[in-house]
Amino acid sequence: MKRIEVKLSLPVVAPLLDVIKKAADELQGGLAVPLGTDVDHDLVEVWNAELLAMQNDGVAQLLAMFDSEFFETGMIAFDEENAESILRACAALRLHLRARYLQTFDDESLEIGDMDPDELPEALRMPFMCYVFLATIQELIIQNLDSEILGE
Amino acid sequence: MPCELRDAERVVYCAIVTTTLSTTQPQHDVHTELAHAGVYRVVVLNDPVNLMSYVVLVFKKVFGFDEQTARKHMLEVHEQGRSVVWVGLREKAEAYAFTLHGWHLTAIVEPDEKN
Repeated sequence: MKRIEVKLSLPVVAPLLDVIKKAADELQGGLAVPLGTDVDHDLVEVWNAELLAMQNDGVAQLLAMFDSEFFETGMIAFDEENAESILRACAALRLHLRARYLQTFDDESLEIGDMDPDELPEALRMPFMCYVFLATIQELIIQNLDSEILGE
Repeated sequence: MPCELRDAERVVYCAIVTTTLSTTQPQHDVHTELAHAGVYRVVVLNDPVNLMSYVVLVFKKVFGFDEQTARKHMLEVHEQGRSVVWVGLREKAEAYAFTLHGWHLTAIVEPDEKN
């Protein structure tokens, strides 16, 4: 089984985890991408429940990576068992961070992502850094484990 | 629906139509039935958050697209705001939309006006 281990800088990442945990708590009761009005009325409730359970499972898996061992070693690991869930969880949390904390940014600025965090107001700095951090995790997984996710 | 379909799923749909037409039912009845069943499309809408590489991966995973096709649809989403990623019967279109929601992409199901 292919496995990638990543050593993170504890002083940089640890403060981000509080913001990510808060975002995860906020997200617990609702979908990162709410269902549209096109969804059949009979399906909405079932879909909502199933998608929310899936979303919460993924986010729980992501948070579980940052356990006591992480705080000793700074290491996190991805493999074919957790890659897909973590990837989805990062997407859900990034969508929530964008909608909840980063609305003042225009789409293009966020897509390019070339803002200097030190120049951002305090209230935006940490959510923005979390947003970038979660994207970095996604890039790492996609670059290294896409074959495992695709079952190739 | 013409048979020069864009992807494997549409080929499956074409096969279903062919099978139906080969029965002894008059053709106009068959067409009426298909119209009732409806042809729907799954449309993925742009969002400014999800990474391009992520969207490509999801398209490959969910629809079995090759890299080139997945990238084509991703760029359509990115540049035009939407891309039709699948066309076929409603039930399956809804199943795809559900799966895409599970990946946190914004997907809608709408009637395919061309059919």
